[in-house]
Amino acid sequence: MVEVDKTLMGKEYLEMAFERCIKCSTCKYGYKTFEPSCPSGEKFLFESFWASGKIRTIRGVLNGDLEWSDDLKDAIFACPTCGACMDACQAPHADYIVDMIEALRELAVKHIGPAQNQEKLIERAIKKFNPYDEPNSDNEELKKKYNLPDKAEWVYFIGCTSNYRQQSLRDATLNFLKRANINFTLIDEHCCTSPMIRTGQISISKEFMNYNIEKIKETGAVKVITSCAGCYRTFKNDFKKFGVDYDFKLYHTCELLKELIEKGRLKFKSNYNKTVTYHDPCHLGRHSGIYEIPRDVYKQIPGIDFVEMRRNRNHAWCCGAGGGVKIGYPDWSIEISQERLEEAKETGASIVSSTCPFCRTNLSDANEKFKMGFEILDLIEIIDQLEWTLKF
Amino acid sequence: MTITKEINIFEKVNKEEVYKKLVEIFGKENVSSKSVDLYPYSYDMTECAPNMPDFIVIPENKEQLVELVKYCNENIIPIVPYISGNNVGGLTIPERGGIIVDFGKKMNKILYINENMMYALLEPGVTFGQLKKHLDENYPHLRYNYPFAPPYAGVVGNAILSGMNNLSCKIGSMGDSINGLEVITVDGDITRIGSCFYGKDEADPDSWWSRYPMPDLMGLFVNWQGMTGLITKCAVQLWPKKSIRKFEALVIFNLEDVGEICREIGRTEVIDDIALGSIEIVKMCCGIPEPKRFPEEPRMMSISTITAHTENQYKAKKEIYLNIIEKIKQEGIRVYSIDFDEFVKLFNLRLRSLVDLPAMVLSLFEYSGLTWFGSYAPSHKIEELSKKVDKLFKKYNIPLYLYMKSMKYSHYSIFRPIIRFDKFKDEERIHKLLEEITDTCLELGCIPYKTPAWMTEKMRNQINPGWLNLFEKIKKCMDPNGIFNPGRWNT
Repeated sequence: MVEVDKTLMGKEYLEMAFERCIKCSTCKYGYKTFEPSCPSGEKFLFESFWASGKIRTIRGVLNGDLEWSDDLKDAIFACPTCGACMDACQAPHADYIVDMIEALRELAVKHIGPAQNQEKLIERAIKKFNPYDEPNSDNEELKKKYNLPDKAEWVYFIGCTSNYRQQSLRDATLNFLKRANINFTLIDEHCCTSPMIRTGQISISKEFMNYNIEKIKETGAVKVITSCAGCYRTFKNDFKKFGVDYDFKLYHTCELLKELIEKGRLKFKSNYNKTVTYHDPCHLGRHSGIYEIPRDVYKQIPGIDFVEMRRNRNHAWCCGAGGGVKIGYPDWSIEISQERLEEAKETGASIVSSTCPFCRTNLSDANEKFKMGFEILDLIEIIDQLEWTLKF
Repeated sequence: MTITKEINIFEKVNKEEVYKKLVEIFGKENVSSKSVDLYPYSYDMTECAPNMPDFIVIPENKEQLVELVKYCNENIIPIVPYISGNNVGGLTIPERGGIIVDFGKKMNKILYINENMMYALLEPGVTFGQLKKHLDENYPHLRYNYPFAPPYAGVVGNAILSGMNNLSCKIGSMGDSINGLEVITVDGDITRIGSCFYGKDEADPDSWWSRYPMPDLMGLFVNWQGMTGLITKCAVQLWPKKSIRKFEALVIFNLEDVGEICREIGRTEVIDDIALGSIEIVKMCCGIPEPKRFPEEPRMMSISTITAHTENQYKAKKEIYLNIIEKIKQEGIRVYSIDFDEFVKLFNLRLRSLVDLPAMVLSLFEYSGLTWFGSYAPSHKIEELSKKVDKLFKKYNIPLYLYMKSMKYSHYSIFRPIIRFDKFKDEERIHKLLEEITDTCLELGCIPYKTPAWMTEKMRNQINPGWLNLFEKIKKCMDPNGIFNPGRWNT
């Protein structure tokens, strides 16, 4: 067996590529649904673009059968790491396929760099602490606007996409937390580094993670809530991998909503008379195992006509934004969302809702570009439009 | 292992020109010569020696393939057909390089289902999962016969290589249920075989209903591993789906009793399929990756499928089945009937994958390699085969993975020792074991199918010269320049 560079974060996953996978192709389609599930394979078709092909690429570059060159980039980076392959695969390595792809990317970055434009993610984050090249917001203005304290029980970790691109989602979350009388505050955030981890550019991740943890500690918070599925997945799964511990309880907004509804504290006072379909964000669904919680919330909204898309929950078709695809392959990224919206059309819904600002961005871009005529809203934005009361 | 001949396939035309031509035929996005794209096609799950192709092409229609075949024949460039690469025999490893034709990505349409005469007309890339979904959604009264293989193995590939299926006790191999083929021969001609052979234009979709009674040209393509032409359409028989489908399990304590049990149950004519597996397989499916054998435990388990239109029909069939088990017991053979559904609930629901085909059978996909000696076997030799193969597994300290079937009501059997292994640590040792198994089984008259070239080399030493001469003459006639999947059967 080949020796794998011990300094690589993903060493164990690269080794796993030699121990598992016979390339049976089960990863290519939803298990037992027999529906296409891999955006990368469906688009580029050659075996190298499917999960099993990527595992072979790992073997090839490590045992010297494949030489590093730019020719390898698309096969390695043109994949939103949505994890549909993990769900389809039934072999013992199934849960680690995305880890294997990310480890391959980590290795690739060392040899050939990331895909085109993906390097900007880390360059910008180093300069401005966010991947959008926006001046860093220390969130002090928001704290003033919402009259937030320095010390609190909760921290709302906004995340870069909500803070710099999907501010309506951010504001809806802030409004909700305020109206719900949650004792919360904000921190001067650094990017959670999800976009860098997904693209194999991990040099700053640990430092940024530690920084965020320190900032959270300074507030005395024991609970952290985020409205971003990407941040949630990173805090929940990746911090541990980087050896960064925390002792606060992590929430996604949908989890808090569900908790409040279940305890009978949140009571809706107005109706939402629209047909809504839910798009499962990969980072919340397949990567974190949360499928029913948001659905339970939608279904409690009075007047709502909640409908499912053909591919839902663990079989959901990705929005195409993740894994560095949005910046590395922007046209294809929107094509993936277009396919999702075509599926949403079949349901008769007028609202496509999700629980992730990155999904919201890409679905909105496709909605606009292809004139699909939907309203794209986050769950929390729908809640924000409603009248409700909270029992204390 | 097979030693591949080093040949320069670009003597007549250089590689850049070939690439240009391929792009002209298939379009740039459907052609690749990048090493990263070629690499996954260079080896498979078995221990067969790898070799890189020079190009991958993804065809959309037969017209492109006619052009490709003519060009390759003129310039003597190998063509290797590929669907999903799931075969356990190195069959799509391009032994002489050349062009892999990946049918699985675009030529994967279910063209027509004839409900009346019960057949499906398919392009080569259709998978079992895809066909099942299509039938369940649109023709719920019809079914296909599925193999003990992952859902994304190709239907046509399995049929033209005479694979097994879960109706095998009734209908035999998949090859027996092909109604017709459309093939491109080496000169670029398109030929239709079977009842679809009438007419100068495209065949009427309703005309693919029988293989016979004209001279059976299908034999020029079935089991030839892509050595005589490219298949572009295939009609396969479908079957009525009965409302009742139940499973009967038996545990068998002595390996030497397996043959008789298999034959006797098969001969009852009341079961669709009987599959027998070593008890180690059952343990693996329960989640024990490397099971140990304990004294006094059973050696094999059989699962028989009984289907019926009515409860009365089911009861009658089951009575016949139970009577034969009783007769076997009276002969002193130690077997116990167990309720398969209860057994699954008790041990592991994933055991259902053994019967709910197409499915991914966990035990097969544990490691990075999988290989086998998959063979048609003379039924009267099953006892001897089982004992000898068991000894070999023991010698190599590998849990026995033995799978058998009774075919066409026990006219013959399937005998399949299977080996799961770590491809990057254990390949050489496993190959030695497989060679020993091959020698033993060939000596007892087994005929392997989906056979790797190193195995056909061994077979050639035992096949009569007359057969080999005719085989070579046909191959020469069908493919004078040796462009179709060269190296298979040591051609």
